[in-house]
Amino acid sequence: MVTERAREFDTQDLLINVGPQHPSTHGVFRMVLEIDGELVKDVIPYIGYLHRGAEKLCETMDYRQGIGFMDRTEYLAAFNAELSYVMAVEALAGLEVPERAQWIRMILCELNRISSHFMFMGAFGVDTGVMGTPFIYGWREREGIIDLFEEISGDRMMYAYFRPGGLAWDVTTNFKARVREVLKSITQGIKDFDGLFTENEIFVARTKGVGYISAEDAIDYGMSGPSLRASGVPMDVRKDEPYLKYSEIDFKVITGEHGDVFDRYHCRLQELRESVKIIEQCLAKMPDTGPIMPEKMPRMLRTPPGEVYLRTEAPRGEYGVYLVSNGGNRPYRLKVRSACLSNLQALKQMSVGQYVADAILVLGSIDIVLSEVDR
Amino acid sequence: MTTEETTQPVADFSGTIWAEVDRALSGVTVRPERGLLDVIAHIPRDEVVTALRRLKTDAALHFDYLRSLTAIDREADGIEVVYHLYSTDKKHNLTVKTTLPTTDLNVPTATTVWRAANWLERETAEMFGIQFTGHPDPRTLLMPEDMTDVHPLLKSHPLAEIEVLQGEGMGYPEEGA
Repeated sequence: MVTERAREFDTQDLLINVGPQHPSTHGVFRMVLEIDGELVKDVIPYIGYLHRGAEKLCETMDYRQGIGFMDRTEYLAAFNAELSYVMAVEALAGLEVPERAQWIRMILCELNRISSHFMFMGAFGVDTGVMGTPFIYGWREREGIIDLFEEISGDRMMYAYFRPGGLAWDVTTNFKARVREVLKSITQGIKDFDGLFTENEIFVARTKGVGYISAEDAIDYGMSGPSLRASGVPMDVRKDEPYLKYSEIDFKVITGEHGDVFDRYHCRLQELRESVKIIEQCLAKMPDTGPIMPEKMPRMLRTPPGEVYLRTEAPRGEYGVYLVSNGGNRPYRLKVRSACLSNLQALKQMSVGQYVADAILVLGSIDIVLSEVDR
Repeated sequence: MTTEETTQPVADFSGTIWAEVDRALSGVTVRPERGLLDVIAHIPRDEVVTALRRLKTDAALHFDYLRSLTAIDREADGIEVVYHLYSTDKKHNLTVKTTLPTTDLNVPTATTVWRAANWLERETAEMFGIQFTGHPDPRTLLMPEDMTDVHPLLKSHPLAEIEVLQGEGMGYPEEGA
C-alpha cells in the first residue's frame, strides 16, 4: 500500500471517533479508529450505552415475568430470544411441550429469522452506499411478517407470546393460510434482493475481499451464526444439537468460502431460502388442532435446584441462556450469552488494514443489535 | 475427591464424554457432576487454566470454542466462575467450574487459551469484582469507566426500590393462596 513516494512525507496517525450517535453504528456503539491516511491501524470499540442490567432484574422476578426482558434484549428477533429462555425454564422444570406448540414455535422463529435478515439487508444496503431502495424493500417484506406477528401475539416487536410449557394462547384460525400468503411475498422479496445485491457489479466490487477473517480466528473469537458460517465453519445449533422438531426437517447449513463481507451477506440471503423451506415443511407437518399448553400447569412455576445452559440458533448466532435455580420461583442467576458481543470482539481483527469506509461495511456485515450486546 | 464419592451416590456418566475428559485431565483434581445437558467438571482455580488448555489441545476432545464465560455469586460459599466449552468439529460440550473464596477473588485469565475470553472476562470482572490475573486489557466493558468499585451482579448489591416492588407479588399469587 505504501509507495516509495509516500514514504518521503512525514505522516501522523489520526484518531477519529465514530459514534455513539452515528447512523452507521446501528445503535449506540462507539469506536475510536486510529487511521493512517485512509487505512485503519487500530479499532477500539466502546459498548455499554444500553446496559440495563436485565440479568440482575430477572433475578428479582417470577419466571414468567422474565420473558419480557428477553424480548428487549434482542428486539429484532424477539421470538428467538424468548425461545431460549422458555426452553431453559422448561428444561429445569421438566415441562413437556405439546407437539403443536412446538411446530408453531418453529414457524414463528423462522419467520422472525427472515424478518431480521431482511432488516439486515436494508441496513447493510445503506452501509454500502445504496441509499433508499434496499432499505424500503427490506422494510416492506418485514412489514408483512410483523403484521402477521401482530395478529397472533398482539404486538409488533415485543411479543411475550411463548410461555414455559407452550404458548400464551392459540394462533388465529387462518394461521396457515396467512403464513403461506406471507411466504409468497417473502419468496419474491428474496428474488428482489438477489437482483439488487448479488447481481450488482458495484455491490460485489465493494464487498468482495473486504473484512476477511479466517475460520480459525473466527472460532477463537467465539463468533457464531452467519458471521461464522461465512468463514466456512458449518456450525449451526439447529443441526448440531437439534431442538424443537429440527431433527425431522430437511434443511442445509449454508457456509461461505472466503469469510469476507460479501460471504456474510450471501450466507444470510441463502439462509432466507432455507428458512422458507423449513416453514413450508412445518406447515405440512403441523396438526390443525391440539393442545398448546400441558394440561396441568401450576399457578406458581417453581423449578428444582439445578442449572442449564440452553442454546438456540438466533438470526445473529447462538443465543444462550444460562439459568441457575436454587429451587424458588425465580432464577438464582440468569446469564444471557449474546451472539453479537462475541461477534463484535472480532471487529478489530476484521477491520485493521482496511479502508475507513470499509470498516463501516465490516461493522454492518456482522449485523449487531446493541441492545443484545449490552443487555 | 474420594470423600465426595463416598458421601454422594456415584453418578452415571455413561453416554457422556466424561471418560475422555478424565483421561485428558489426568493429574488434575477434577470432580465431575452430571448436568441436565452437559457434564460439569469442578476444577480448583490453580489448575483451571492448565486444564482448559489441555482440553483445547487434546486431539480427541478439541474444545476450540468458548461459548460463554460467567460467574455465579453463591454468597457464603464463594463465587463460581463458569466456562462453557464446545468443540466445533467433534460437536460436544463441557462445563468447567471453579470456585473462588469471597476473600480472595482472583483467577488466572483464559485469554491465553481463547481470545473469546477477553470481553467475557472483562464483563465478569466488573460485574462480580473478580480479578482475572494476567488479563491483557483489564478495563470495564459495560459499566462506566470510573465505576470500578460497583459490582451489580453480586447478591449484596442493593436493588432500587422499584425493582423490589416489581419482584414482589405482581400478578402471581402464592400457590394455594
